[in-house]
Amino acid sequence: MDLRALIGVIEIPDLKKFFPEFILLLLAFILFTLELFIKGRERKFVLNVVSYVGYFAVLMSLLIPWMYKGDTFYGNFTNDPLAVTVKVFSILIVLAILPFASSYFSAKRSFYGEFYYILAFTLLGVFILASTYNLIILYVSLELISVGFYILTALLKGSTEAKEGAFKYLILGGLSIALASYGAAFMYIYSGSLDLREILTYQGKDIHYLVLGLVFFLVGLAVKIGAVPFHYWVPDAYQGAPTPVTALMASVGKLAFFIPLVRVMPLVQEKFSLVWTITVGVIAALTMLYGNLVALVQKDVKRLLAYSSIAHSGYIMAGAAVAKVVGMKAVIYFLVAYAVMSAGAFLVLALMEKNPTWNNYMENFYGLRFNAPYLAFAFFVYMVALLGIPPTVGFVGKALVFMALSFDKLWWLAFIMILSAAISTGYYIRLVVIMYMHEREKEIQAASAHLGEKFSLFALTLASVLLGALPSLVWFFVKLSAENLFTG
Amino acid sequence: MEKVGFEFPIISVSLATPAIFAILVLLFKEKFAKYIALLGTGLVFLISLVVLFKFDFSKDNVIQFYEEYTILKELGVKLSLGVDGLSLLMYILTTLVSLIAIIWSIGDEKIKHRLKEYYVAFLLTESFVIGVFTTFNLIVFYTFYELTLLPMLFVIGIWGYKLRLYSAYKFFVYIFISSLFLLLGIASLSAYHYKVKGFFTFDYLELVNLNIPNGFEIFLFLLFFIAFAVKTPIVPFHTWLPDAHGEAPTAGSVVLAAILLKMGTYALVRFNIGLFPDAALELSPYLVALGIYSIIMASWMTISQTNIKRFVAYSSVSHMGFVVTAAFLLNVEGLRASIIEMFAHGLTSAGLFMIAGYIYNQLHTFNFTSLRGAIKFMPFFATITAAIAFAAMGLPGGSSFWGKFLTILSAREYSTPLAFLVIFAAFFSAAYVLYFLKTLYLDVREESILVHFKDVSGYPLVAFLLIVIPVLLVGFVPFIFFAFYNEFLLHLLKYVLKLPF
Repeated sequence: MDLRALIGVIEIPDLKKFFPEFILLLLAFILFTLELFIKGRERKFVLNVVSYVGYFAVLMSLLIPWMYKGDTFYGNFTNDPLAVTVKVFSILIVLAILPFASSYFSAKRSFYGEFYYILAFTLLGVFILASTYNLIILYVSLELISVGFYILTALLKGSTEAKEGAFKYLILGGLSIALASYGAAFMYIYSGSLDLREILTYQGKDIHYLVLGLVFFLVGLAVKIGAVPFHYWVPDAYQGAPTPVTALMASVGKLAFFIPLVRVMPLVQEKFSLVWTITVGVIAALTMLYGNLVALVQKDVKRLLAYSSIAHSGYIMAGAAVAKVVGMKAVIYFLVAYAVMSAGAFLVLALMEKNPTWNNYMENFYGLRFNAPYLAFAFFVYMVALLGIPPTVGFVGKALVFMALSFDKLWWLAFIMILSAAISTGYYIRLVVIMYMHEREKEIQAASAHLGEKFSLFALTLASVLLGALPSLVWFFVKLSAENLFTG
Repeated sequence: MEKVGFEFPIISVSLATPAIFAILVLLFKEKFAKYIALLGTGLVFLISLVVLFKFDFSKDNVIQFYEEYTILKELGVKLSLGVDGLSLLMYILTTLVSLIAIIWSIGDEKIKHRLKEYYVAFLLTESFVIGVFTTFNLIVFYTFYELTLLPMLFVIGIWGYKLRLYSAYKFFVYIFISSLFLLLGIASLSAYHYKVKGFFTFDYLELVNLNIPNGFEIFLFLLFFIAFAVKTPIVPFHTWLPDAHGEAPTAGSVVLAAILLKMGTYALVRFNIGLFPDAALELSPYLVALGIYSIIMASWMTISQTNIKRFVAYSSVSHMGFVVTAAFLLNVEGLRASIIEMFAHGLTSAGLFMIAGYIYNQLHTFNFTSLRGAIKFMPFFATITAAIAFAAMGLPGGSSFWGKFLTILSAREYSTPLAFLVIFAAFFSAAYVLYFLKTLYLDVREESILVHFKDVSGYPLVAFLLIVIPVLLVGFVPFIFFAFYNEFLLHLLKYVLKLPF
């Protein structure tokens, strides 16, 4: 065998494009090692500082893939604006959530050093998922994220709720990954390739293999996204998990799990575009209706927000049903918007939960404006944003989805979206009314928040208004990501 | 439509001023809140007077004082502000009524708690409503239109009367849901523009030139109409209004009735007729019928009320019926009647709600039969009540006369039976005012009820005078108000009826 022919096949991986992931991997191992060897009081401090420094380094290093776009690792790893967008926002949100973690756990009288390195590994999964078309890599990175989430959900010792949530998540997550890999197998039969771009542009004869594969794949992803009828794990896992982890799952998790769906959108061809629209559209319609209807009767606000998260999956999927540039812009913007809003809303709960007499039941929210005026205002902003009152981010997301739907003349989906947004008014406005217009039922002192928590909550609140009022602040990310995928 | 700039961004300044004063209210102590709010609204009113005097009335179909700030270039979202004749009239009404509402609130002894939030809510409402009336970008319009809901939700829910929470929910839910249809309509219009012209825009001036196929135009018209019919309200969609207006604090009802309802009618004239002329022409018989039905039904409901605030609230619905009927008659007199009636109703309903608030503060009841015959102990108040109530009834010399009279005239242009139908409807709307006045003035007072009557003075008197003077002005010299929108009207009609300019 000619050696030169062999060398010709071997491409030297362009590690510049892999640089942020590399730092993140390094960070994860450093955190892991530190967690093992540092004992005593400084452990918390060291882990926190190393995490901050590491994530900032990753954020800075993201400039490099922004400059060097393209494939590496034989086309298994793709660096494009979409990947960078996802990475930038997930890092930013992790940085916003991080200040809450240690103080939340110390309020629960425990400390979990493993939180830090599992978080780093999970984020590594998000990074890889954000920039791959290869089904195997997709599988691995999906599992990396999910395993991280299973562990983080079950983190609280002695909490049966957390165990129940994590267990449900584990079982359904396992099922979903089985389905997705089954779908991947069908797609491989159809095209003889594992690269999504090649599969979907392949002009094969047995199109039903492709459709079957795509549907299985979508269903697998739908479980991860939390779309109806595969949503059963969402409320339990969200409720059981430590609240900062819930914030992470709702924001970064949703952002990441939608990316394979987004990557498929430009590849939807004429011959199966109807299948795509109907499958995604129907799942979206069911999801938003169910999520909002069930949220209406919740007593526990954390669980209510979990159902609202399901409903938002529906809104975002409605945008994805329009496999065009307009739809993709709506999806990407809405994902970022939802990440900001939901992280903020859950983090407010995380702050309140530091008070041992607090639980997330509705009656604790009566007159919250008198107990904790600033937190109540922040929560008010998130409720309004989730409801979609202009000029918040939630509104811009909904408006973009409406534009996409009317672009493709999907009026039925648009009217279902109006209906479900109408239902959602019931619970969001009830929370606003309860916080501001009722007298307080009991006096609850808001636990003191340290500077990092205050700053991160302030930044998220500001972002959820400002990114909506001036969408041009994030629009170039959205525009570049979407247009790059469609025009190449 | 053309647009003309001005050397100073006066509209955006008057849009921002109340919001800035709202921040000032938050920064200073609670006892200064009312004076800061008074200063803010007063300043905005002065700015609006400057706009009024600098406005070129010979070119009132031209958007004057135009300014534009790009928010998102790709989608054509621009904060474009300016006033034409119609906008100007509504803008002046907004600044005037907001000032009146603040003056009233200072004198209102019911407003004692959470003063900072109260004045912040009113100042923000003024800011948002100015935005609604002066913007020519549909998505910005929608933004301000929705934003007005939030401060009003708080005003009704916190400082309202017994059923305040229920009413606040109902108000918010009705209007929010209906305006989602508007959002879909705006989005569809923009997406359609992209398909035809190749770029997204929300600019009214661009969208006016769009030729929309008939079926789609009617669909869009209906999407817009649902939102504005609930906001206006037109009878089958009116059930939120008596609750919201009835339970809100007096100043809240004043703002709700006088300017927030005008957002619906303003948008019907500006967008439903302006953007979808063919659909408006095609659907006009049904809409006129709906308007007349609205007048008659609302008048009947009004007569059966004993709660004075609900009485005024239902009478608002019947007035709005006149506005809708007149607007969709789609001729010169009709549109003229519609727009003058918007302005007139803004004044009289504000006045009537203040009368209701004054009676409540004296008697601690909204049941106006308990005041029967006793109004003679308050001569000033009796005079003001008579002036405003007769003006609302449509007595010549009162402000609503021109609206009703011109509606009848414009119906006469179509057919005499239609004119008689309008007269028949107008009869009902006169009946309830007469019944109201009879109860207050002519019924025999029960001697057993001992009430200490105090005649109107101080801040409430100022507020009343600020209403009564413009009411009489509209009644006796309506021509200065017609001059606001004469050209606008003719251009709109030529555009709708496809006449040569």
